Amino acid sequence: MEQENLSLESLQAALQAQQATFDMHQSMNIEVFYWWCTAIMVMIHAGFLAYEMGASRSKNALAAGIKNILALAVIIPTFYLFGWWIYNAFPNGLIPIDASSALPWAQSMGPDVKDMGTGIFWAAFALFGATTGSILSGAVIERIRVSAFLILTVFLGSAIWILAGAWGWHPEGWLLTDLGYHDVGASGVVHAVAGFFTLGVLINLGARKGKFINGIAQTIAPHSLPMTLIGLMMIIFGFFGFLGGCIIFNGGETGWTTIYNTPTNLSAFAFNTLMGFSGGIIGCYLATRDPFWTMSGGLVGIISVAAGLDLYSPSLAFIIATCMGLAAVWFAKFLENRGIDDAVGAVAVHGFTGVVAVVLVGVFAGGTPNVNGAPDITFMGQLIAAIVMLLLGFIPGYGISFVLKKLNVLRVPEACEEIGIDEVEILAKPYPEANVPANSSSDVPNKLANIEPQGV
Amino acid sequence: MGSSITTWENVSAYFTFADNPVALVLFALGVAGIVGGLIRSIIKHENKAFEEHK
Repeated sequence: MEQENLSLESLQAALQAQQATFDMHQSMNIEVFYWWCTAIMVMIHAGFLAYEMGASRSKNALAAGIKNILALAVIIPTFYLFGWWIYNAFPNGLIPIDASSALPWAQSMGPDVKDMGTGIFWAAFALFGATTGSILSGAVIERIRVSAFLILTVFLGSAIWILAGAWGWHPEGWLLTDLGYHDVGASGVVHAVAGFFTLGVLINLGARKGKFINGIAQTIAPHSLPMTLIGLMMIIFGFFGFLGGCIIFNGGETGWTTIYNTPTNLSAFAFNTLMGFSGGIIGCYLATRDPFWTMSGGLVGIISVAAGLDLYSPSLAFIIATCMGLAAVWFAKFLENRGIDDAVGAVAVHGFTGVVAVVLVGVFAGGTPNVNGAPDITFMGQLIAAIVMLLLGFIPGYGISFVLKKLNVLRVPEACEEIGIDEVEILAKPYPEANVPANSSSDVPNKLANIEPQGV
Repeated sequence: MGSSITTWENVSAYFTFADNPVALVLFALGVAGIVGGLIRSIIKHENKAFEEHK
């Protein structure tokens, strides 16, 4: 019996059994990692919910909230219907390749004992899509029709950004294979695209009633600034799930890689996420002394270094984030001075910062090699890709909202805006036992009016 | 009625109607219909609400 146990065959069998157990547990670990990244990303939406309700006047608080909730409800199924297919079908540009296994009637798009990857990656990407669709949400509060917002957010969250993902994140994406594009934390494919899509919508949507008097921007104060600040901090928490979802947990001996298959690890992400977060807060605080912008600075900081999260030295990430905090405030003021009413600064925080973040990778990490035959990272490659992201967001955002405007279904009627959207169509009151004023003007000074751009 | 397997031996995709692509296409159309119907319903609700608050 002992001799039999020690035979070569039995040792090989035991080794194979151990290997099979190890492989199964490794696959389970991968699933567990992305499961929790996805769960943590839900916190982004809890944050958006609190942040946008707080940023609204009390007469529009629930309308802002229901918009967020329904955004999740429509992006997830539409991402199942066509978002995942777009990612897999369009790496070459606008001509699809065969990606039938990503269609909603494919066997791989459902419970499968032998597939421990598709569902969990689909889920993480669906939540990326929901985040992208929600970036639009805050900028358009208090005057967009819920129906129009949902149409726009489906395009943005389930089609436009994931097309950018196919070009800039897919292993065969043309931005990577032709330009060496590097955007590990989605500064471009998520934030730049969403931010400039939002700008296109804002141009057609117009400003809130009372925002500009004789061409001068007025403050429309949030009805609950504390709720807004807490919401922003919840988004920061959710960001850790988002960025975790951006790293690839490989099986075998490979370990962590970026989405471009270059080596990295969570330690690299941890250094620069936190240094970017703190630098952004400082930059926005120095530029405004305003609590809303100070907390938004945390987002600016992370987004500003996300594209090169794996490559930057932490001190450089901190300096970039601080400077981008200052620059984002300048850009928000620039837009406001041109009559754009972005209620939460989304175009500056996400769009402007995302575009610059992509370019900065070319400035500071140019020459870094890629793998699998892709060209090195270059300044020109990053610059061209940043312009592609900007246009890929702006053109459909402007075009679709233009059509909705012409159909007279983009904006609520003036009377509804005056009364408040909650009163007209939500059928509930946010504070039924309180008398919270909902003035269109405010004694609070315009936080951007007297700020001069500093040091950028 | 929708089970796609009769045994757990060597099973891969095992969800309901996994072996019936026509049914899966119909379900996908159902998903699209619900999302589209939701947005249509909101448009109708909004139009009615706006009309009442002119």
